[in-house]
Amino acid sequence: MRNLFSLILTVLFLVALVGILLRHYLRARTAAQATWDDLLKRLTWVDRDKIATIAMDIIDESGERRQGESAFSLEPSAIWSLLGGLDGLEVLERNCQVLVELAAYVQKQYPEALPVAEQLRLNAREIEWHVGRLKGAAQTGNLQSSFGNYAQRAVVTYYLMTRRVLELYDQTNFPGLADLQRAL
Amino acid sequence: MHLSGFDRFVWAATFCGHILLLFVLFVRRRASSFPAFTTYIAENTGTTVILYFVLNHLSFSAYRYSYWTLGLLNELVQLFVFYELAAHVFCPTGVWVRDVHRTFLGLVCIGGVVALLLTWLAHPTARLPIQTFILRSNFFSALLMSELFVGMLVLSATAGLPWKTHVARIAQGLGAYSIFSVAMDSVVNYVTLSRHARLYTDLSRLRILTYLGCEVFWIVMLWHEAPVPRELPESMRLQIYSLQKQVEYDLIRIRAWRRN
Repeated sequence: MRNLFSLILTVLFLVALVGILLRHYLRARTAAQATWDDLLKRLTWVDRDKIATIAMDIIDESGERRQGESAFSLEPSAIWSLLGGLDGLEVLERNCQVLVELAAYVQKQYPEALPVAEQLRLNAREIEWHVGRLKGAAQTGNLQSSFGNYAQRAVVTYYLMTRRVLELYDQTNFPGLADLQRAL
Repeated sequence: MHLSGFDRFVWAATFCGHILLLFVLFVRRRASSFPAFTTYIAENTGTTVILYFVLNHLSFSAYRYSYWTLGLLNELVQLFVFYELAAHVFCPTGVWVRDVHRTFLGLVCIGGVVALLLTWLAHPTARLPIQTFILRSNFFSALLMSELFVGMLVLSATAGLPWKTHVARIAQGLGAYSIFSVAMDSVVNYVTLSRHARLYTDLSRLRILTYLGCEVFWIVMLWHEAPVPRELPESMRLQIYSLQKQVEYDLIRIRAWRRN
């Protein structure tokens, strides 16, 4: 009886393991085969002016933190509205996943650019982490208290990171800059 | 112990496969990138020779003792191979990437606990206690390795860390063999060994044939060169490094704000 139970448990475990393996293997293979254009097409359009408004509540034009009373003046409700709520944050999260893949693409095609690709990947992951915290807060009913802090940090990180990426592509006259500007 | 013609053929084929694989690893200069994997293959080659010698010239109890001792050594080396592959994927810049280090350690711990639990639940019936022990340790090892390889794939896909060609091929071979071994071992654990000796022999042969398939896969894949990466233009290299500095600076500041 114990052996039968063990066999059933192992078979279930094995099926789950193979299922997870296939799902992630196919995902990794699709990502590895994607071209630059494929990745750009997956970016979802965001209103950069609104993103800039939220970011500029904390930082100035040079990217430095604002000092004095003008900093952190946006109310969480205003951030919520500008961002389009949790849906807006999820768009940023999806774009971050694409940016992670763009970083992996650069890392694979140009191994010399590994440090910058790794830095971009970490930034994008950090935004994902912020959004994950917000989703968790939404499930436990604590979204109101967490939204202002986590959402604004996520937006500032996203804003600065995408600004640096766009500057780089502008400087290098990389094809696809216009698409990237529109999407980010 | 009587060995059939098929057993002798498979034994010889495995040995030749190991020698050929070692040849590929050294001639194509993969041994320096994968020292643990090279050690694993060398250890497997040595095991094949030692066990063949012990079986034909020493007692059966000496064979059992050698089989058990070398099997334990093999498991240890496999863990080093896993660590080596993980280091290739999760240390692309030479240090462990920050966002996966803790998850990776958690994965190893949970993998160990789950493997222990499933092994404890399994109750293979064999005539001798040493047989039961070997069956259980094989099952534990296959479970652990398959969990670790699947976990490593999931973690790298989630974190967006690409695999280099040869790292991926070695992991695919070892992962597939481990998963197949779990399936085989779960059947062996279920049946009574003394009453289903024929089934056990057939499954053992199937396992060796699978391993032979993995050997051929590694020989072919490691012989081929990985795709040549593109060279970064000098201007783009400078700009890309300046971008890295700026992005790093931004992130440090944003993290500091959170602490205030």
